[in-house]
Amino acid sequence: MALEGTLQDMSLSDLFQIFRMGPKTGVLILASVAERGIIYVAAGKVIDAVLATSPGNRVQAAQEEAVIQMLLWDHASFVFRHDANVLNRSPRITQDGEWLVMEGMRRREDPARATPYQSITLDTKLQLSPLPSSAESGVSLDVNQWRILSQVSISPNLRTICEATGIEPAQAIRTVAELMAIGLVEVVIPTPAAKASTKSVAHDPVASMAPAVGSSDLAATASRMGADCGERPQVGRGLLEAIMRRIRGL
Amino acid sequence: MQALKIVITGSYAAGKTQLIRTISDIETISTDYEVTLDEERQLKRETTVALDFGTIAINEQVTLYLFGTPGQERFDFMWEHLTVGCLGYVVMVDSTRPGHFAETQRLMSRFAEITDAPYIVAANKQDDEAALPVSYVRRRLGVPLEIPVVPCVATDRPSVKGVLLSLLRYIAAQSQASDE
Ligand SMILES: Nc1nc2c(ncn2[C@@H]2O[C@H](COP(=O)(O)OP(=O)(O)O)[C@@H](O)[C@H]2O)c(=O)[nH]1
Ligand SMILES: [Mg+2]
Repeated sequence: MALEGTLQDMSLSDLFQIFRMGPKTGVLILASVAERGIIYVAAGKVIDAVLATSPGNRVQAAQEEAVIQMLLWDHASFVFRHDANVLNRSPRITQDGEWLVMEGMRRREDPARATPYQSITLDTKLQLSPLPSSAESGVSLDVNQWRILSQVSISPNLRTICEATGIEPAQAIRTVAELMAIGLVEVVIPTPAAKASTKSVAHDPVASMAPAVGSSDLAATASRMGADCGERPQVGRGLLEAIMRRIRGL
Repeated sequence: MQALKIVITGSYAAGKTQLIRTISDIETISTDYEVTLDEERQLKRETTVALDFGTIAINEQVTLYLFGTPGQERFDFMWEHLTVGCLGYVVMVDSTRPGHFAETQRLMSRFAEITDAPYIVAANKQDDEAALPVSYVRRRLGVPLEIPVVPCVATDRPSVKGVLLSLLRYIAAQSQASDE
C-alpha cells in the first residue's frame, strides 16, 4: 500500500502539498537514472532528506540541498509509504516545504546551478552492479524487472534488451531506473564521457572502473555469446582457474 | 567488466537462498543514511518475486554472479531468462525431503530443455542427522552417472565453496572434452 508514480504524473511540489493536507507521515523515495533520494515526512512536514548516487550509495546531498536538487528533476519514479516511525526521527530540515519549492524554482531559472541529469536511452549500456550487498538478496522484483535484469549482462544496450524481452522502450527505461534505484544495475559510462564527468563520478570507485571496463567489452561479450553455438559464454581455462583460486581463497 | 553467471536452482526450501548468502560478498552497512536505504528494500519486498542474487568479485575485470531461481512455479518462464549466458548451474535438493524429489526431477528436465549448460546436483542439508545419503539422492533423482552429485551444507562456507568448485571443475572438464 503505497503511493507510486512518476514526477510526470505528479510533481514533487504537488506531493508536498498532499503531505501537508494529510497531514501525512512516511518516507518518499525518488529514483532518477543515476541517483535516488529519500525524503522523510512527519505530520506533513519535510523533516529530512538525502540524495545518493545509485549505484554506489554515495551521499550527494542531504537535508535542504537534497530536496532542492530533487525539485530540479523532471523524470523520476517515486514511492511514498506511510511510516509512523518518521515521527520519532529528529528533524534536520528547518526550512518549510514552500521555501524549498521556491528555492528549487530559483535554481531552475539558473541552469548553471542545476545538477547534470543523466538520462537512459535505448543506446544506454547497462551492467550488473559489481557489489550488491548480501542484504540485497532479500529484494523482490516484478516480472519486468526480472526480465531486464536477466538480459543486462548479455546485451550491448537497452535496445537489445527491449528486443529480447519484448518490453516497450518507455517501460524498459522506467524499469531500468527502478533496478538502478535498488542498486542492481548501473549505466556503463562511455570512456570519453567518463573523463569529462563530474567529480562525484570521478571519485566513485565503481564509475572510475568504467574506462577499463569499456562499453565495447560488454558488446564483445554479448556477441561472443551469440557466436557460440549455445548461448553460453566462452570461458577459457585460465579464467576458470582464476575463479577456482578465488573461491578456494574465500 | 566481464560478468559470469552461475544459476542456483532447486525446489522450494532446498537451500538456494542460504547457499547464495553463505558465499556472497558482503557490503558493510555503517552510516545512518545507508541504513535508511533498508526502508527502500522493504518497499521493494511488497512486489512479487524474491530475488536471490549474490556476487563474488574474481578480479578487477571479472565478477561472478550467483542467481537463485524464483520459487513460484508461475515464474518458470524466468528460468529461461536467467539461464541465458550462464556458465553452469547447481540443482539443489533437500536431502531430508524425499517428498520434494519428484518436483526436483521435473525441474531438472525443464532445465535440460532450456539450456545445455553443465550442471551438478547438490544434496543439501547433509548436516542433518536424518539426511539421506548422497548416493540415495542420486539414485532417486535418476541423475546420469557423468553428472556429479555432491554433498552440501548450505550454511557452511567451506561446503558451499566445495559445491561451486565441483561445478567449475565439471565445467572445465566439459569444455576440455568439447575441445578435443
Ligand atoms: N540444517 C540445514 N538447514 C538448511 C541448510 N540449507 C538451508 N537450510 C534451511 O532450510 C530452509 C530453506 O532454505 P532456503 O535457503 O530459504 O531455501 P530456498 O527456498 O531454496 O531458497 C531455511 O530454513 C534454511 O535455514 C543446510 O545445509 N542445513
Ligand atoms: Mg529462497
